[in-house]
Amino acid sequence: MAESVCRSLRDGALEGELAPALTIKDSLSSPFGFNVFSHILVQLSSHIVAGKSQSRGMVIVSLSRSPSSYTGLLKMNEVDVESSKKWIHILDCYTDPLGWKDKTRKSGDIMDPSNQILSSYKTVKDVNKLFSVICDLGRGLVGENKSRFCVAIDSLSELLRHSSMQSVASLLSNLRSHDQISSIFGLLHSDLHEERALAAVEYTSSIVASVDPFHHSVDGQGSYIRNSSEPNLTKGKLNVRSKRRNGRVRVTCEEFKVGPSGISFAPVSAVDGAAVAGLIPKVQFNLQLSEKELVDRSRVVLPFEHQGNGKPIQIYDGRRSLEESNNETTPISGGKKEESGRGEIIYFRDSDDEMPDSDEDPDDDLDI
Amino acid sequence: MATTRTRVSSFSHNVSFLKSSQHPGLKNGPNGTTFISSGISDLDKILGGGFSLGSLVMIMEDAEAPHHMLLLRNFMSQGLLHRQPLLYASPSKDPRAFLGTLPSPGSSKDDTSHKPSHEKDLRIAWQYKKYFGEPQLNINTNNGGHHDYCNDLDLRKPLERHFFTSNNVDCVSIQNSPNLDALKDRCAEFLAQFSRNEGSISSAGRIAIQSFCSPQCKYSDMEWHMLSFIRSLKGMARSSNVVVVVTFPPSLLSPSCSKRLQHMADTLLSVRAIPDEDKELAKLLTGYQDMVGLLNVHKVARLNTQVPVILDATTFSIKLQKRRFLVFECLNQAPVDGSGGSSYGNSGVCSRSTKVGPLDF
Repeated sequence: MAESVCRSLRDGALEGELAPALTIKDSLSSPFGFNVFSHILVQLSSHIVAGKSQSRGMVIVSLSRSPSSYTGLLKMNEVDVESSKKWIHILDCYTDPLGWKDKTRKSGDIMDPSNQILSSYKTVKDVNKLFSVICDLGRGLVGENKSRFCVAIDSLSELLRHSSMQSVASLLSNLRSHDQISSIFGLLHSDLHEERALAAVEYTSSIVASVDPFHHSVDGQGSYIRNSSEPNLTKGKLNVRSKRRNGRVRVTCEEFKVGPSGISFAPVSAVDGAAVAGLIPKVQFNLQLSEKELVDRSRVVLPFEHQGNGKPIQIYDGRRSLEESNNETTPISGGKKEESGRGEIIYFRDSDDEMPDSDEDPDDDLDI
Repeated sequence: MATTRTRVSSFSHNVSFLKSSQHPGLKNGPNGTTFISSGISDLDKILGGGFSLGSLVMIMEDAEAPHHMLLLRNFMSQGLLHRQPLLYASPSKDPRAFLGTLPSPGSSKDDTSHKPSHEKDLRIAWQYKKYFGEPQLNINTNNGGHHDYCNDLDLRKPLERHFFTSNNVDCVSIQNSPNLDALKDRCAEFLAQFSRNEGSISSAGRIAIQSFCSPQCKYSDMEWHMLSFIRSLKGMARSSNVVVVVTFPPSLLSPSCSKRLQHMADTLLSVRAIPDEDKELAKLLTGYQDMVGLLNVHKVARLNTQVPVILDATTFSIKLQKRRFLVFECLNQAPVDGSGGSSYGNSGVCSRSTKVGPLDF
């Protein structure tokens, strides 16, 4: 259930530290970022209502979806919306982000006074003002004391569209270093932005959860084309990289499935070897043998071992070829036989009688 | 020219040992250069003495790990302990707050060398003992005091306030400035105090710039502006008795800008994060549990000479001994073919200082 991520957001920030910031990254090949975002939103909201989290309130900056969809989402997941004005506030940057309606409308504005959890924001391009409005709203929810609130940004992609990368990065870092903010999380569509903008957002966030297609290939470009013939509309993988306090990176992977009732997570079935070898230098020697090397080693014919096939033993002595040495020995032995026919020197070698004692002779396995 | 030294023999390394009367924070190096300590004794050993005065040290950050902050903390703290003025620039709103995290010298000095235990457990024949001692190059590792060249800094113990409330430390925030001209002026002012002249060096200074092209800075997309700033900073530093340390995250820059910055550095280091609880890495490396990251030394500064430094190893593991003291150790790799990794010669981006050859082991 994306447990570790929800837990880090729930636990929030320690004194004197930056608040944890989650970026959910998705792409066209696996467009389930919003499902993950809403899942985390619901989880965190239920923690806030139950009082289990560090943050006592939540500010949702909704840029790509209407605020009513959020209230609907919370109602659907049985989060207590009646008391919602005490702990949630939605900043509506969706209806009129650039303030066009004010310019065109002649009559008075039609703000809904009964809706206390909503306020509209009309100048998305002014990121500094957005920051101060978020802080004010949050402070309004939790009070001026030590309590904290968390911030959910519906779509960082929308923010990056309206203002520069520097201002969005400074907004994120200012939010993270604010005393009263417990955690922040936002959604980003990775194929809408340049590499540098993505790298900048990843740099400023402490947890990056990327929503990947189920059969994720290494090259990002190829996967879309391959998957379009067989689109997997329900399943995918969530790869999470979280920066831990000691400087290490925790990498986890989960499978998720999107259904009508929501999203469900499962631990990943197969673990593929991570590419850690790129981190450390290659060792110049290897003490272990691969499969092929083992097979080859068993096939090597050692020169003095029993070769067991009855034929004369091939011993390569390094100076002449094998055929030559065989041919040379036969005429010489023939010559010797002739001579012994005339002079009759019969010599019996003592050692002929001796049978090689297999228990004692250490050279038994050699055929010399 | 530097002071003349008597040669011991024609084959000596021609390094003179610490002249403690001069200044505890300075040490003479080869070819007329002077070293100041980086604050980490292992790093001083690796670099052959420390950072050369007048050089530009660049540290490449990893977006996923804050190890560059450890290096910066030690560097800044060592300078303050030696009463060397410091200029610190950072993209946060309140750089002064960072000074509260600077480490202080550790109180109990358990020896960092393992030799005494060696003597007890393993009795080495006397004629072989000379091969096991670490070559005592330049580092004086005696105990105590603030008058060491390099102190063992305890990262959990904050530095006493009196070190940085004096006029020694100047902090600049580069977050809101639209361009780098203001920072350049501050640096020029600082460097003017330490301009090099023919006489002996009275004091040295340190400049530390953290996360130079951080995305929240307004000038972070003005790449040529940043490059010209670093170039002029390097030129000014060359003629003064200051070491400049700049950290930057190369992943946030375009590849050509990142390469140019790397080439400008006199000493180039990079820190990298390692995955947590990774079984593959635990198999390949012994001591993985204690490691927090990796340090790569790509280039070592060599001023006044054309002879490059060739290191035995360029990748080191970053460990926190007792969670307090920063140490760098050579990697103990299992002899399993970690195929796919880069070989020693190519591990650095600028591997000018490492030789690559067929007999490279």
